[in-house]
Amino acid sequence: MKRLAIPFLVILALVLAACGSSSSTATPAPAVTKAPAATTAASAASGSAPVALSGQPIPIGLAIATTSNVALLGEEEKNGGLLAEKFFNDRGGVNGRPIKVILQDTAGDEQGAINAFQSLISAKVVGIVGPTLSQQAFAADPTANSAKVPVIGPSNTAKGIPQIGEYVTRVSAPIAVVAPNAIKQALKINPNIKKVAVFYAQNDAFSVSETDTFQTTAKSLNLEVTTVQKFQTTDTDFQTQVTNALATKPDLAIVSGLAADGGNLVKQLRELGFKGIIIGGNGLNTANIFPVCKAQCDGLLVAQAYSPALKSDINDGFKKVYTDQFKKDPPQFAAQTFTGIQVFVEALKSLDNKTKIANMSIEDLRVALNKEVTAGKYDTPLGKISFDKDRELVQNDFYVAQIKMNPDGATGTFVFLS
Amino acid sequence: MSDFFHAHSSVIVSMVFAAVLGLSLYLPLMAGQLSLASPGFYALGGYVAAVFSTKIFNVASGAHFPIPYLLIEMIVAAVLCGALAIIVGIPALRLRGIYLALATVAFVEILRVVSLNLKITGGAVGIFKIPQPFRSTLQYLWIALPLLILAMAFVYRLEKSRIGRAFTAIREDELAADAMGIAPTYHKVLAFTMGAILAGIVGTVSAHFLNTWNTRQGDFNASITVLAIVLIGGSRTFLGPVLGGLVLTALPEILRSVADIGGLPHWLAQFLKDGRLIIFGLLLVLCTVFFPQGIITPEFLGRVRRLFSRRPRATTADEARAAP
Amino acid sequence: MAHFIQSLLNGLSIGSVYAIFALGYTLVFSILGIINFAHGAIFTIGAYFTYVLTGAAFGFNGVLANRSLPFGLTLVIAMIVGSLLAGFLSVIIERLAFRPLRRRGADRLLSLVSSLGVAIVAVNLIQYLVGAEIYTYKGKITGNLPSAVNFGSENTPIPIRTVQIVIFGVSCLILVLLTFMINYTKIGKALRAVSEDATTASLLGINTDRLIMFTFFLSGFLGGMAGTLVGSSVSIAGPYFGIAFGLKGLAVIVLGGLGDIPGAVVGGLVLGLAEAFVPSDYSAYKDAVAFGLLFVVLLLRPQGILGRVQVQKV
Repeated sequence: MKRLAIPFLVILALVLAACGSSSSTATPAPAVTKAPAATTAASAASGSAPVALSGQPIPIGLAIATTSNVALLGEEEKNGGLLAEKFFNDRGGVNGRPIKVILQDTAGDEQGAINAFQSLISAKVVGIVGPTLSQQAFAADPTANSAKVPVIGPSNTAKGIPQIGEYVTRVSAPIAVVAPNAIKQALKINPNIKKVAVFYAQNDAFSVSETDTFQTTAKSLNLEVTTVQKFQTTDTDFQTQVTNALATKPDLAIVSGLAADGGNLVKQLRELGFKGIIIGGNGLNTANIFPVCKAQCDGLLVAQAYSPALKSDINDGFKKVYTDQFKKDPPQFAAQTFTGIQVFVEALKSLDNKTKIANMSIEDLRVALNKEVTAGKYDTPLGKISFDKDRELVQNDFYVAQIKMNPDGATGTFVFLS
Repeated sequence: MSDFFHAHSSVIVSMVFAAVLGLSLYLPLMAGQLSLASPGFYALGGYVAAVFSTKIFNVASGAHFPIPYLLIEMIVAAVLCGALAIIVGIPALRLRGIYLALATVAFVEILRVVSLNLKITGGAVGIFKIPQPFRSTLQYLWIALPLLILAMAFVYRLEKSRIGRAFTAIREDELAADAMGIAPTYHKVLAFTMGAILAGIVGTVSAHFLNTWNTRQGDFNASITVLAIVLIGGSRTFLGPVLGGLVLTALPEILRSVADIGGLPHWLAQFLKDGRLIIFGLLLVLCTVFFPQGIITPEFLGRVRRLFSRRPRATTADEARAAP
Repeated sequence: MAHFIQSLLNGLSIGSVYAIFALGYTLVFSILGIINFAHGAIFTIGAYFTYVLTGAAFGFNGVLANRSLPFGLTLVIAMIVGSLLAGFLSVIIERLAFRPLRRRGADRLLSLVSSLGVAIVAVNLIQYLVGAEIYTYKGKITGNLPSAVNFGSENTPIPIRTVQIVIFGVSCLILVLLTFMINYTKIGKALRAVSEDATTASLLGINTDRLIMFTFFLSGFLGGMAGTLVGSSVSIAGPYFGIAFGLKGLAVIVLGGLGDIPGAVVGGLVLGLAEAFVPSDYSAYKDAVAFGLLFVVLLLRPQGILGRVQVQKV
């Protein structure tokens, strides 16, 4: 045993040491995951007594999945949320008072989301941005609602989220608007499209509702849906689905899924000889698909609820801090989480201008903040947003982008289509 | 103190649920049958509650869900789970050891795929807005604790009964038990069915508690978690799964809270927070290695009993009075 | 007809992935009679090892964000070294999580829990170190070959991805090598002796511990190799990459007969074929078919498809 273990440990140590030594050359920027200022502030303050709201940072909860098999989404949200803390504190916080984003991991399950919410509520946060999945929102949001704590869902797109209660809203639009645009865009590129093959992840709540919209739109545009193929987000091999679909000779393929499965499906469609246009749903709106389908991502049309190409002061600012730290365009989930924090910050500001929030008890503050959140209009990285009387998100700008891969086949950009 | 309970109410209630779920796996194990089907019946029970409370019973939104309705759901779930357990159990329980375990895993997975595809279960999104019988999370203890205590009392009485002795006989040596006139199939299916009913009942309460129910509730991971609860707690006495359920559910949350205690070096607090599941996994390995019989074993209980009986009578009586 | 051939080839292609995953899984069962849940984690770690060894950098999340080795190996060499490292890691896991239990004569089921613990540690450690991002190898194991091979005609194409054909070939090759090793080498005979009866084998002078260590090394090596191969087909989809195969892998080794090495390959292919032949209208029930099949096979032939009936000893 020892004879084997020692060389192994030596190799492992060398590997780790090599990783360490090369880091100085490989990382020109301090691109550590946690925004350093953010975490220090959070952990330093979380040890102190319950925050009396006077001059101290205003705590805002961020409850997302940074572990479990949805962590890919959660990591993007974490990056967006922690950047928002630094971004808004650099711009004066809430009328001179800093904010503090308290991160709690929900893991991927419903129980975890409830636990994280309760933990944040007892940490006296003024509001919560989270959780990651719609199913988790259905479990955890009622907890916050009955405790009268405002919640903004960063990525909960299922039907019925704002209807959970009067303290629940979201900055993630159900995708009904964007799907038709994507199909029209495809028809603009190739007017001869007749037959459509549809693929969707049947265990993902968002993909299930998205595919409905896609299918209805396709039919209303007199396209023939030749086949509907289902898969699971945990699947990686789509040989069967793809060849079944190709047998119906489609001109257009529509994929609703998440990054890893969606990317693989696109790749395998191309490898198995599909030449037509592919439309990816909103779940594929992330640079995370580039490493999966590489050069084969090229030309993919993607329905977007966020486009880095949007020209506005706030989006330029957000994009700058994001690319400075992570060396790529911000993904949609990061932008949505950033927006969630922004909505709280701006609502707190305008509330503070009416009544000094420093004089309010935490309970009153939460109630007043909730009213202020849904009453306001916000200029965010997602474009101009507001909330209707049912607290549903009103978002004006949706986009269709086409992926353009660089010659290296590993990096690419989303090119905004009008 | 009451602040503490409210802040952690969801963890506390789910600890109790996990303990009952542990017992539901312990029941077939009493007869020597390793079944991992509990999460399947748990999921089925949850769907019964979700469907009944949102589609069949009409409860005005905002109003509390009447407790009698909850009891009706529990009975329906018990009947359904019991019937399904008999249907599945009779063929499946001919298998032994790991083969039975795998067959039950397959059963759980089939149930999951079916509920993903049925209309009535709401597909991937599941069923949401399940009405609440209680005003606060902590009040779920009113139903969770009696459930746990009743289940414990039931198992305790069962172990002393004729049936319980038959279970033990089958666990020790099935062929010998058969030769002595104990019908193995009947008793194995009985133990399996009792476990299924218990799991189904926990599911109904759990569905209300979680506000929502979907296919992610009873899957392979859940099967393995419940197995860990029983084996770490101790599989030779019913106190084992109860303790295992309480401890294993609380552990990740305890690690989360420890990270929030002030005064820790920054890197350590950060590691406790981001790496709490690494620590959880390590503890799982260490527990199995150092307590291969589980934390609570009959020998351990014997030692505790001897410890008490050696003391003067007065003390024992005092302690009996002090106990709740 | 074209559809039939396509489904057949699809089934073999998916099945070979299941088979290659299951080989290391079933090897450990054949010697120790335990299911090693950490196998999925080894599979994942092997894939990550290979990725690091090619000199590629990690992403933007986790403690090792943006770090990389100062050197890079070509993919094939990295794959072999990575698999060897996975093998050594597997030996260490055996030493820490399995051997102490064996020494104490604990219930075999307990190793389910301790290996589950190892899997939890591994998955979360990966997440902690390198985040949940998706990683793809720089090179291709298929080199400059076209990405798909057409088994049909121009008009009715029957395409299969080249990388799947490579995986199929490697699975078969490994099977042949393993069969040869087990039947014709000294160590193979010792392995068979231990799997028949460990106590007697050790009385006859076979060093059981060393043999078990060797088994774990081999299993880890195969797991790492499988992880890399599958990773090069579908990218490393995060720390849960291998865990997703764990459940299907269980089904495979049961179909083939627990601990039966050729059976694992047959089981994988059977499962792949069963899934491929599910009509596309019922594709949503694909997973149910796999486990329904498992349930039925367990009830009818618990010794597996190829297995021989074992006599119950009293």
